[in-house]
Amino acid sequence: MISFELSEEQQIVRSTMAEFGKTVLAPQARRLDTDSCIDDGVLAELWSTEIIQAQAEAVEEEAGSRSPVTNAIILEELGAADATLALAMASTMGFVQAIADQGSAEQRARLLGGFAGETFQAAAVAMMEPRFGFDVSRFQTKADKAGDDYIVRGVKAMVPLASRCSHFLVVAEADGAADAFIVPLDAAGVTVVEPKGALGLRALEMAEVAFDSVRVPSSMRLGEGNGADVQRIIDSARVGISSILAGLSRGVMEYVIPYTKERIVHGAPLAQKQAIAFNIADMHIDVEAMRWLNWRAAWALEARQPATRTAQLAYTYAGQQAMRIADDGLQAFGGHGFVKAHPLELWYRNARSLSVLEGAAGV
Amino acid sequence: MVDFSLTEADQRLQAVAHRENEIGRKYAREWDRNSENEPSRIRGIHPDVAGLESPHAALEREQEQTSGLVIAEALMDMVSATDVNLRDTGEDAFGSWMLNDYGTEEQKAKYGHVKLAIAITEPGAGSDPANMRTNARYDPATDEYVLNGEKVFISFFNKFDGAVTLMKGEPDGAGKTPFMTVVVTKDLPGVTEIPQFKKLGIRSHELSGFHLQDVRVPAIARLDADFGKTMSKFNHNRPLVAAHALAGARSMLDFTHARLAEAGLKVDYAKGRSARSANEDRLIRMEALWEAAWGTVMRAKWLEHQMGSESHGYRVEASVAKALGGKVVRQITQGCLEILGPEGLSEEYLAEKWFRDVRIADIYEGAGEIQRILIARALLGYKNELN
Repeated sequence: MISFELSEEQQIVRSTMAEFGKTVLAPQARRLDTDSCIDDGVLAELWSTEIIQAQAEAVEEEAGSRSPVTNAIILEELGAADATLALAMASTMGFVQAIADQGSAEQRARLLGGFAGETFQAAAVAMMEPRFGFDVSRFQTKADKAGDDYIVRGVKAMVPLASRCSHFLVVAEADGAADAFIVPLDAAGVTVVEPKGALGLRALEMAEVAFDSVRVPSSMRLGEGNGADVQRIIDSARVGISSILAGLSRGVMEYVIPYTKERIVHGAPLAQKQAIAFNIADMHIDVEAMRWLNWRAAWALEARQPATRTAQLAYTYAGQQAMRIADDGLQAFGGHGFVKAHPLELWYRNARSLSVLEGAAGV
Repeated sequence: MVDFSLTEADQRLQAVAHRENEIGRKYAREWDRNSENEPSRIRGIHPDVAGLESPHAALEREQEQTSGLVIAEALMDMVSATDVNLRDTGEDAFGSWMLNDYGTEEQKAKYGHVKLAIAITEPGAGSDPANMRTNARYDPATDEYVLNGEKVFISFFNKFDGAVTLMKGEPDGAGKTPFMTVVVTKDLPGVTEIPQFKKLGIRSHELSGFHLQDVRVPAIARLDADFGKTMSKFNHNRPLVAAHALAGARSMLDFTHARLAEAGLKVDYAKGRSARSANEDRLIRMEALWEAAWGTVMRAKWLEHQMGSESHGYRVEASVAKALGGKVVRQITQGCLEILGPEGLSEEYLAEKWFRDVRIADIYEGAGEIQRILIARALLGYKNELN
């Protein structure tokens, strides 16, 4: 039965995250971008939301209590404040979700406790690879069977908070199919390459991680027996990214509205020119459309319905339209959009960055 | 709980609507070619569906088990292109609905037996009703109104007996001319019907108009339905206009997928951008447009279901659905024809027809620009500052 009704819990989470984002996260966004690093204080504040802990603990309670729809709502709110910090959460959430969702009982018991503690603990799905033309349908990272173990060889790219991660979920080709392996940061042969800096999401210190013949026991193959459903991880990541993009887009719109009402051009506020007002209307239309696509894909994940198509469409639409919204938002500010006194140039960089990432988030 | 599943009744109703569309499909080309010239061919209930329950009746019967009456209606509308209406039963007499809603008993007694269209648009006043020139002058000597003006793009005026007509009254003390709504019947001296318009698409949707030259109507012909009341159906209708056009775009996409599959291209939603051909990428982007618009239609209809159709509480969402739907059906049908290439132009297929049919969706019931003005005013807190 078609419904857009949020549960009472979802309404509370939504307004709490909106307030947290506005008052705590958004004011730090510029500083973090400049520093190209997230300090411990901000990480502690993120951790205090207990979003990650809830994912980890939910497994112990009841299987159905983790909600991709709720997570999509949370990521939109965080994304509206700062996409970088939203992805800091979503990246770890993607890892925890994959373990909670697909891990064997033994893997859940061994790993999830590490995300229930008092301090921020990062982990990431290591999906992308450092080459032009990379695609999630073709991995050069290989996992070859060697007795009871797997030997993982390859390099992963754009791993958020890589040096802070306790574990990576490395997506690699094993026996001709994509599979996923849980690899601790401190395993022999794992090297986090010094971050090279990036266009956007700079504070995430996205880095390459090299896996040089890393020996991984079969017990660390996600799900053990049958191997991992990598597509489900990709689907969940796409919805995570698109939820943050919806938030980013909304943030742009909400910043553009007061400015264009105040800025007088040729005798009238900018917002009274159709060229500007129509862009603002289109921003609103697209933010709504993105949100319903995200909810629908998240609902499909939650209801264990086929989600690959809806997740792809949510991701495709959000990536395309968020870039346009960030672009139009910057344009509305003219020269002020180009300089760092306003966040438009930051959002412009982040919109392009986020929308090309694969596997780096989860709902 | 957020839920995007369809009830069994929703799905049954979609199947009923789809079946009706499929039955009509074989007449699509013929009616596209002929119905503007020979509208008599499309009158009454077509023998092919005479024994079948109509989608409308099925919806009435099953509504309790649906996601909601207005939601199910939109779901049915979006299922596939309705190329022809096989049931011409006069339910599209929107002016008669208005008489029924706003008329007095005396007015219903006088006009209840005639079928009435609704007449708003003029050659120089479409989206901007303030520009309307059609007017009424009261003649106290005879207790009549004297009407002059011209109305165009009036749905089904040719087949009905008249129209509930929006016009301007005489200036009041402040010089303002109020809108008024008057029943005009074709039998009055001075009413001249104009021929059907020849159109780009939706050719079996009959469209004509009329001139009024010193037409005298009794005072009772004036309905107590002001402009706001006339517009009150817009919130309900706008998402349906989008839904109806999305159905055309759905058929276009399905056709394109099927033809490309025959040519060896099957869309894979799993892989990423780098592993796609240009055509596959475009199809995915067009599917995304379609589903984006679907979501906004569902959102508006869900709110309407919660608030009641007469509510203005979902008017922005109704405009969002209309604006996005109107935009994406243009992009989708243009894009599909480009992908299909020269063979897609042929009248052997309906692709070229759907391309023509959906174009109106971004114009009627408030053009895309009007929807954007309404949305932007709501966001910016503007009224007439934004025009």
